[in-house]
Amino acid sequence: MDPRDAMFDAALLSRARRAYETARLSSALLATVWLVPVLALPLFGCSDPLGNLVSGAGLILAATFCLWRGGAWRRGVRPGLIAGVAPMLVPFLMQTGSHICMGDRCYLFPGICIVAGIAGGVVLGLLAPRPREAQGVPLFAASLIAGLAGAVGCLVYGLIGVGGMVFGILAGAAPVLITRRSRG
Amino acid sequence: MEPSHAILQELVERLADGDREAFRPVFVHLWPLLRRHAARHLPAQEAEDAAQEALVKIFRRAPEFDPSRSALAWALGIATWEIRTFRQRRRRRREEPLSERGHEAADATPGPEESAMMRDLESMLRDAVGALRPEDVETLRLYARGERPDATAAAFRKRVQRALERLRAVWRTTDGSS
Repeated sequence: MDPRDAMFDAALLSRARRAYETARLSSALLATVWLVPVLALPLFGCSDPLGNLVSGAGLILAATFCLWRGGAWRRGVRPGLIAGVAPMLVPFLMQTGSHICMGDRCYLFPGICIVAGIAGGVVLGLLAPRPREAQGVPLFAASLIAGLAGAVGCLVYGLIGVGGMVFGILAGAAPVLITRRSRG
Repeated sequence: MEPSHAILQELVERLADGDREAFRPVFVHLWPLLRRHAARHLPAQEAEDAAQEALVKIFRRAPEFDPSRSALAWALGIATWEIRTFRQRRRRRREEPLSERGHEAADATPGPEESAMMRDLESMLRDAVGALRPEDVETLRLYARGERPDATAAAFRKRVQRALERLRAVWRTTDGSS
């Protein structure tokens, strides 16, 4: 091949690659734009909303990254978001029901994060791709997104809430995943 | 479906799913096809530009590619649209000297691979037209010949538009299965 042709092809390939990556990123951003209102949820809680806002931004970034990357990463987004709904919303629903706050922390039923985490974990175990699929990437992506979504809600109770939620997700997902694996 | 088309189909599906390793093979498959396709309809320099634009657009739209469609028909559809845009632009500029038309005629002989592709496309198009109602087929035939039945221009235009819409709908549902 003529070296000039090779250079031209390389330049065109790089232009095509930029177009492809930009299109993937725009489509990922469009798909996650509905998560932006999630960032407003902490404003309804009574704790310092900064941590929750950071978790919400992390959730949007993680979901955008997974959708942009595609393949095994993308397959974890939907199960992760569905699994994260309960631990994300339940603490805020509890907050609106009754308000017990001391200083910048709310101490109302942090155990609710464990229960909501277990519910999310069961959903994760049922919906997430199998652990062996694509070296566990889809399951990792789903768990990360479920965890970040849960953190948006459970940070209302501080790190204890987040710890409880993570424990709950693990406790809920593990038996379901083991049962699915044993059934082949 | 020919083996090279099946490979292209698989590669474009992988690219749509986000597999970056399919990027270069898709490029290697499509670039010569697009250049030849554009060269059949446009003068050399414009053909090169149109093929480049088409290639970039194909990669831009690759994330939205619907795997139930034929990747080849999809890619050639984008390229054909780009060629049409270039021709319209040229027509608007009134820059179509006779020598260029001669060039088009000289380049109009397709290669074996493109002939096979065109045969595939023609067969898909025949299937799609065959699925239309006879009235729609008649309307499209008259339109293609530049004839008009005993109807007002507006009514005929509407009839053509509806027939084309139905053809597009049939094409969308059948082209992946060919």
